[in-house]
Amino acid sequence: MTTMNAPTDSLEVQLFGGFRQFVPNGTLLVEPGEAKTVADLRRQVERAFGDDENALMLLKASAFATDRRVLDDESERLPSDEPLSVLPPVCGG
Amino acid sequence: MSTTNMHLAVTDRPLDGNSALEFCSAPGHGAVDLFIGRVRDFNQGRSVVGVSYDLHAALCRNVFAEIAAEALDRWGRETRLWLTHRSGRLDVGEASVVAAASSRHRDEAFKACRYLVEQMKHRAPIWKQEHYVDGDSEWVKGHALCGHG
Repeated sequence: MTTMNAPTDSLEVQLFGGFRQFVPNGTLLVEPGEAKTVADLRRQVERAFGDDENALMLLKASAFATDRRVLDDESERLPSDEPLSVLPPVCGG
Repeated sequence: MSTTNMHLAVTDRPLDGNSALEFCSAPGHGAVDLFIGRVRDFNQGRSVVGVSYDLHAALCRNVFAEIAAEALDRWGRETRLWLTHRSGRLDVGEASVVAAASSRHRDEAFKACRYLVEQMKHRAPIWKQEHYVDGDSEWVKGHALCGHG
């Protein structure tokens, strides 16, 4: 299970589905650091999971999103004022 | 979200197919197609006792709206559409999704209803965790929303 202390300027990322086995409360706090783009944020989330191979494998198959849309361009700049989420492969129905 | 010709929702309350049939109704509509997806008791060789659905509610509503708009573009603005999905823990036999479409003729209703279901399964941010008779639970593998998944 991944746990992190919350730095004052931490960036909150919501997790869903299979990620709940790694972070039961569904919220991951990452250092915003140089996270300007989706690809940057992906690297920050990778660091937060450390050497947890199962979480990293799921992250590799996951997309990032706001509450309005999937951010499918990894070079896209992160919106500054919208909640961010990591979406593992979906399977509704 | 509900307008005169579409009702789209996610809910933790039991789903009702009759409400979908009532909504998907108009004097000129000679066809209505209803799909109800239910939790089944067996999957991938394992006996299932229930399924927990996790979903991103805000994004889900937006994706449902996109899918419904596409369906209206394809099969006509007068088509009526219903798409609701359940969240939380469901027992075997409970409805997880209800989709319906009505139109003048059956072809459009069949196609629009199927489109709602198939696109929802591939695009909506919904995840399911199966619970097995032996006490084990597992998140079901799904469709990646990213190009490299």
